[in-house]
Amino acid sequence: MRAAYRVEIRKLLRSRVAFVATALMGLLLPAMGLGFYAVAVSGGNGSLADKAAALLTGEGWAGYLGQIDQIAAVALFLGAGVVVAWVFGREHSDRTFPSLFALPVGRGTIAGAKFLVLIVWMVVLSVLIAVVALTLGVVAGVAPWDTGVVLSELSRLVVISLGAAVLSLTMGLVASIGRGYLPAIGTMSVIVASSQIAVLLGTGGWFPFAVPGLMAVAGMEGMPTLTPVQLVLVPGLAAASIWLAIGWWTRAEVA
Amino acid sequence: MTAPIEAARLTRSFGAECAVDGIDLVVGAGEIHAIVGLNGAGKTTLMRLLLGMLHLDSGKARILGSDTDQATAAVWRRVGHLIETPFAYPELTVRENVMASALLHSVSPSSIRAAVDRVIEQFDLGHWANRRARILSLGNRQRLGLASALVHEPSVLILDEPANALDPAGVVFIRDLLRQYAGEGAAVLVSSHHLDQLARVAHTITVMHRGREVGMLDPGGIDLEQSFFDIVHRSDSAIREAQS
Repeated sequence: MRAAYRVEIRKLLRSRVAFVATALMGLLLPAMGLGFYAVAVSGGNGSLADKAAALLTGEGWAGYLGQIDQIAAVALFLGAGVVVAWVFGREHSDRTFPSLFALPVGRGTIAGAKFLVLIVWMVVLSVLIAVVALTLGVVAGVAPWDTGVVLSELSRLVVISLGAAVLSLTMGLVASIGRGYLPAIGTMSVIVASSQIAVLLGTGGWFPFAVPGLMAVAGMEGMPTLTPVQLVLVPGLAAASIWLAIGWWTRAEVA
Repeated sequence: MTAPIEAARLTRSFGAECAVDGIDLVVGAGEIHAIVGLNGAGKTTLMRLLLGMLHLDSGKARILGSDTDQATAAVWRRVGHLIETPFAYPELTVRENVMASALLHSVSPSSIRAAVDRVIEQFDLGHWANRRARILSLGNRQRLGLASALVHEPSVLILDEPANALDPAGVVFIRDLLRQYAGEGAAVLVSSHHLDQLARVAHTITVMHRGREVGMLDPGGIDLEQSFFDIVHRSDSAIREAQS
C-alpha cells in the first residue's frame, strides 16, 4: 500500500487539475460567501440583495459562514468530483491503465491508494476553506467576535464541505466503469439536478447527494430536519462506492 | 523445469471474433522469442493474456510456473512489460516516472535511487530527467517506457513493438539490450511487424495470423519477408478452402 500511496500522492501533487481545484475552492469559495453575505446585509433593494438575504441562515458569524455552507454543499461535490473523476479516469484517457497490470502491487491496492490520497486531500481542503473563511471574516469584520459561535459554525462548515466532497468519491466508481473522466462529469450534472428535484419533492433527506445542502439550510423555515440514518447514508454511500470501485479495479480487463 | 513463459491452447474471443485461437508457446530462460504478424494478427492480445490484462476463455497462461490469474507479487516482481502505451504520466518528470515504476515493482528503498539513475543513463534520458514527460517526443516517451519496464531488472520481459517510434540508433540499442537481457538468463517475448529488426536478435520467430500460429521463421533465413508472406498466404488459402 505504501508504494502505491507514494506514487498516487506524487501524481496528485503534480496535477494541474488538483492544483486549480484546490485554489478555486480553497480561496474563491470563501470569498464568494463573503461577497454574498456583504450583499445580503447591505440593505440594498436589488434582486441579488433580496435573494442573498433570503438565503441568510442567521446573523453575524452564523449568517456569514452559513452562506459559505450553502455554496460549499454544491461546489465541493462538483469541484472535488472533477478531481476524483480525473484521478480514476485519467488512467484510461491517458492510456496508462495497462501499465498497472502485472505488478507486485495489485490494482485493488492502487485504487485504494487513490481513494486514501483523495480523502486526505478532501480533509485538508475542507480545513483550508474554514481557515480562509475565518481569516476573511476577521479581516472584513463581519461581526463581533464570539468564540462559541465561530467554532461551532466553522466545525459545521468543515463537516458540510467534507460531506459534499466524500460524496464525490462515487465518481471514482463511475470514472472507472466509464473508463474515462467524461462519464463522471456527465453523471455529476445529472446528480446535481436530481438533488434539486428530490428536495423540491420533499424527499431530499433520503437522497444522500442532497444531504449536505439540507445541512447547510437546516433551521431555515420549511426545511426538513435530517435524521441520523439520513446523515449516515452520506459516508455509507461513499464507502460502498470505494468498495465497488476497488472490486472493479481488481477484476477489470484492459479495454 | 518449467519455462518462464508458457501458453497452452490459449484462446480468447471478443464477440464472434476469435482474437487468439489455441496458441501454444514456450519461451525458455535466455531465449528471445519473436511474434510477428500483420496488424490484427493477435500479437498484442496474446501478450495481454500472458500478463493477466485479459481473462482467458480457455487454455493456460503461465509466468514463472504460476497461472497468471494466481500469480503472486513475487512472480510479478520479476516481470517487466511494455504493451502499447509507455508508462509515462505526463505531469511527472522522467525521473519521477521511473521512480514510480520502481516503487510499483517493489524495488527496495535502499537501491531505488541507484536503479533509477542506472536506467536513466542506460536509456540516454539524462538530459530529460527533470523535465515533465508531457514534453517528450514519441521516441523519448518510448525510451522512458522501456526504462520503466526494466528498472527492476526483470527476468521475464514481454514487449509489444519495443522499437516503436525509435530512431535507427534506438533500434540498434534495443537489439543490444534484448541480447544482453537474454544473455543474463531472462526470457524475452517480443512482438513486431518489422521483420528485419527481429531477425537480427530472436532465437525463435513465430508467425501469427488471424489469431493462430501459422508457422515459424528461421531467424538465419535469407529472405524473411518472402518467407513470412508465403506462410500468411498459405494460411489464407487454407482458410478459404475450408470455407468453400
